[in-house]
Amino acid sequence: MIAMRTNLWPVYLVVAAFLTACGGDPPAQDTLNVDNGLDTAKDERIAKTKKIFYSIPSPMETAALLKKAGAEYNSKILNDVKNVDKYTAASQQALNLGVYGADLSYASVFNHTQESMFYTSCSRKLADRLGVMSAFNDSTLELMQANMNDRDALLDIISETYWNVDAYLKENGRDNISALMIAGGWVEGLYIATQVSATNDTPDLRQRIAEQKLSLNDLVGLLGSYEVEDARLTAVMADMKALQALFAEVADPANGNAVTEENGVTVVGGGGALATLTDAQLTAIRDKAAAIRNTYIN
Amino acid sequence: MRNVRPILVKTLLTGAVLVSAVVANAQCRSFAKNKCVPELAPFKFNETFNAAQLAPGEEAEVNLTFYSGQEYRVMVCTHPILGEVNWKLVDENNRIVFESLADEPKHHFDLKAASTVPMKVIVWVPGAGKSDMVHVGCVAIMVGFKE
Repeated sequence: MIAMRTNLWPVYLVVAAFLTACGGDPPAQDTLNVDNGLDTAKDERIAKTKKIFYSIPSPMETAALLKKAGAEYNSKILNDVKNVDKYTAASQQALNLGVYGADLSYASVFNHTQESMFYTSCSRKLADRLGVMSAFNDSTLELMQANMNDRDALLDIISETYWNVDAYLKENGRDNISALMIAGGWVEGLYIATQVSATNDTPDLRQRIAEQKLSLNDLVGLLGSYEVEDARLTAVMADMKALQALFAEVADPANGNAVTEENGVTVVGGGGALATLTDAQLTAIRDKAAAIRNTYIN
Repeated sequence: MRNVRPILVKTLLTGAVLVSAVVANAQCRSFAKNKCVPELAPFKFNETFNAAQLAPGEEAEVNLTFYSGQEYRVMVCTHPILGEVNWKLVDENNRIVFESLADEPKHHFDLKAASTVPMKVIVWVPGAGKSDMVHVGCVAIMVGFKE
């Protein structure tokens, strides 16, 4: 038992170092208004969101798609870990929990373990300030530290933590915070993809960026469930609609409707053309994504 | 004092309903995590928590996008108290790609996307029949992908 305690000391020291690496004490913060009234509009909204879901690709899924598309890793484009203490409003914390979550997934999928630990630390801080400690605590950091050299195990821990946070928020009636986190993560994923494409442009990467048109529609659907009640969500919705206007110029990638079978597996979307972007469309989306992301992280 | 009692009762009842909803949701997460996520293997869970407490006659749907060249597993996982449910996967024209009915249930469906397509999973719980008991149970709609 004593030996076990002794062996854990380096882990505690490293975890403490990560915690201090990502800023000091949390500053005073304002709160995001959550209407607890049981009025009819809210009942209708609850009924709507309870039964209709929009599945937005998670940061990990997006990062994995980027890697498959031949994207490279560029740490310079990620959100600075020092920014974490600037986020005093709950809405900013939620958006940037998504941003740091996407950065964490990007670093982890590309096997940049040290940076993964820093982004984990930032994410944990924001989760703490949002009151989601039970889903993301010190033991998560210790577990990650213990699995630092096992990429698959590390990705599993990050995935489980992300879904614990999302599920915790949803089951505690804080769907608006969850929606902001998802939106922040999605915007950061688009920002990373478009920035990487500026220096490492490939047809596959362009295709993945063009396909975000469909995910954006789902994200707008999700945010639309809350538009009336939350000013920050309304602002984020306006940002997404501005992006939607740019994506409207992109040819719809989803025109394949043949269903076939290949080695016992059903293949859907056969006969469809692969999505692509013109130079002008890519530049317009890149600039808009950067401008929106800039307002979230600053 | 007489006027206060109904307000107090109403407040307590509302509080009890909210607390029980939170507890039920937490149980739903725990159920999905322990029972459903492991069944997605060898696919990687996409981390999106789509779960609801449903009663007989109720319906839920999930809008999702499958990306070209990727392989997926779609799974509908139901708490035993609710029994088996019906579910289907439909394309953007509401054409059924896959359907599982409660009397011959299949809990998952594997697919590969040739091009990027939006689809919808629709789950509906069969009616309660003649029973007076209404069981409400967790239904989780999960998606796994191959990295």
